[in-house]
Amino acid sequence: MKKDMILEKSNLSYWLRQLRKEMLLIGPMHGENGDIVLKTVENIHEIVLDCPALIPSPKEFLFPQKEEMFGFSTEGTKNYRNSKRRLIFGVRSCDVSAIGLLDRFYGGKFIDDYYTARRENTVFISVGCNKPDPTCFCNGLGTGPFLSSGFDIQFSDLGDRYLVEIGSEHGLSIVKKFSHLFSKPQKSDYDDQYEAILSSHAMFEKRINLENARQKILSGSVEDSFWAGVAERCFECGGCVYECPLCTCFNVIDRKYSAIEGVRLRNWDTCMFRGFTKMAVNVWPAEKKIMRTKRWYFHKLLYYPEQFGRFGCVGCGRCTITCPGRIDMATIAYRLKVGNNED
Amino acid sequence: MRTDLKEIYLPLKARVVEIVDMTADVKLFRVMPEDAFNYKPGQFIMVSLWGVGEVPISITSTYGIHEYVELCIKRVGHVTSAIHCLKSGDIIGIRGPFGNGFTIGKTKGKDILFIAGGIGIAPLRSLINGVLQTTPPFNSSLDKGIPPLNSPLNKGGRRGVLQLIYGSRNPSDVLFNDELNTWQKKGMHIILTVDKKDTAWKGNTGIVTKHLNKLRVTVKNAHAFVCGPHVMIDAVMRDLSSMGMHEDNIITTLEAHMKCGIGKCGHCYAGGKYICTDGPVFSYGEIKRYNLKWP
Ligand SMILES: Cc1cc2nc3c(=O)[nH]c(=O)nc-3n(C[C@H](O)[C@H](O)[C@H](O)COP(=O)(O)OP(=O)(O)OC[C@H]3O[C@@H](n4cnc5c(N)ncnc54)[C@H](O)[C@@H]3O)c2cc1C
Ligand code: SF4
Ligand code: SF4
Ligand code: FES
Repeated sequence: MKKDMILEKSNLSYWLRQLRKEMLLIGPMHGENGDIVLKTVENIHEIVLDCPALIPSPKEFLFPQKEEMFGFSTEGTKNYRNSKRRLIFGVRSCDVSAIGLLDRFYGGKFIDDYYTARRENTVFISVGCNKPDPTCFCNGLGTGPFLSSGFDIQFSDLGDRYLVEIGSEHGLSIVKKFSHLFSKPQKSDYDDQYEAILSSHAMFEKRINLENARQKILSGSVEDSFWAGVAERCFECGGCVYECPLCTCFNVIDRKYSAIEGVRLRNWDTCMFRGFTKMAVNVWPAEKKIMRTKRWYFHKLLYYPEQFGRFGCVGCGRCTITCPGRIDMATIAYRLKVGNNED
Repeated sequence: MRTDLKEIYLPLKARVVEIVDMTADVKLFRVMPEDAFNYKPGQFIMVSLWGVGEVPISITSTYGIHEYVELCIKRVGHVTSAIHCLKSGDIIGIRGPFGNGFTIGKTKGKDILFIAGGIGIAPLRSLINGVLQTTPPFNSSLDKGIPPLNSPLNKGGRRGVLQLIYGSRNPSDVLFNDELNTWQKKGMHIILTVDKKDTAWKGNTGIVTKHLNKLRVTVKNAHAFVCGPHVMIDAVMRDLSSMGMHEDNIITTLEAHMKCGIGKCGHCYAGGKYICTDGPVFSYGEIKRYNLKWP
């Protein structure tokens, strides 16, 4: 489905205020340390509308860093599945693209009910990027800066108004009751959006072609010495995995509150950690760091396309900002292209 | 909101009915799930102890033959040690069955070689009992599960040679001794071998690969099912292949660190495959093709 409307900027806070009566409103806000993060909106005027890509990514709201799955006691188990209704405002196109892939990953033969319960009760409003960050490279991947489908609701900032594109039933559900706030778009609105898209594309500093990187690996011409060089620079901090909107690995832990009561929870894990594949009696398939760094890239560049027909990267640039070893996706794709691992 | 979402991480309750001490560090657990389920050889379940954790364990019983779900568990660490402290009547949690399981339709009329090392006999036992019960001709419908004794699938037909080579560390580590006798009586050729013999041991010694020169099966035509420690699996697969067995007919179950069993946690991911859902049963051909032994 697709339906377009215009929302005057002056009507935005009224609309959000009304929606907040029915669901939790989450948006980009100033955090404690001066950075901008997604969090529950107390005062609508504090939403930061014009901000760089957010670290951490919104995956936190669908797949929390730590999630209590169920409690256990002598009475039996109690599922803690979360299905609170939420509106998350102000995410980016790359994140929406990532969520589209997460939906497929957590679906399939075994549907992850924790993710799905959250997802089905969350509406995302993304804002197309008029000003991409220097680290962004979604332009080469079709995952941004503006999308033509796959979103719940996409806003395009046209100065004094937003072009509001509704792309899902989810999206429609929060607009329906407030149709008096919206008007019909004119041809000039689409022209303005087109302008915004063009000028955004012209602003990208990075041109990264992951298909080249994939072909290079598939051709067999990338020696292990290349990956050894990458591994040497990895601090095993896991930052890339935690910040990547498409990394999904988790660990499962039991925590006891008393002799008979406790909770099973899952938390983010990362394949970059040494113990990730360790088994009992010291069987350790990926003990060497080179295996782990190589796997991260192979997963995103080779296996993801095989499984989903898409790269396991949406070009958000978060790993570029995060990685202290400068072996982020954009850098490695570039190095694969030029064929060396030097700075 | 959808209300039909299955609670796939929430274990089902199962009661421990009986515990058999098998060796110093291996016990057999007979468990009765709250709701019965169908399973096939080579599949596994996730076994939970509240407050301790959850581990993948192969089902060693055979559906249609054994009354209970049987688990043969070696004490090696945190969770398996706690499992070993269970008493009959205790309640555990189980999820599953998971994994693809063995495909045996293809072995119709062929010789079958089973090679087990240590606890690797556990998943093979499920298959062996199934194969011995179902007199061929095997039918691909077998892959949906072993049919009950009186099924028409079990009538007549030629069976190939069945052989088992089973290696253990010490004579006292040999599992399922009684059943080995039964299998032999049913016509299976069995070679038992131990790494370290004691004074009472009159049989073979040395690792399983040492005994590959005593095969009764016709290698070119046979199917092999190999389960055991990584190192053993690697060596056996390589040897059988160089002896002329087709790589796609050498079948094993891969072990991996597993936290979910359903292709989500990523721990078992290798070569673009989830060992838990795409496997754990793979052929030597697949292992090489997909590079399942990590890049
Ligand atoms: C498909 C499959 C079938 C198995 N079948 C059997 C069986 O029938 N009988 C049997 O005794 N053992 C079996 N195992 C091995 C068994 O799962 C491990 O011995 C067990 O997980 C060890 O847990 P622990 O807490 O006792 O050991 P610890 O070393 O304390 O383990 C800590 C954590 O590491 C992980 N882990 C450690 N070793 C393994 C391992 N080998 N495989 C997977 N995860 C591991 C677990 O998640 C565990 O919670 C099987 C493993 C797999 C993958
Ligand atoms: S962020 Fe960089 S240094 Fe940290 S684990 Fe990832 S690749 Fe290694
Ligand atoms: S690999 Fe890096 S750039 Fe790509 S989606 Fe993940 S964090 Fe973003
Ligand atoms: S065990 Fe979790 S993905 Fe395989």
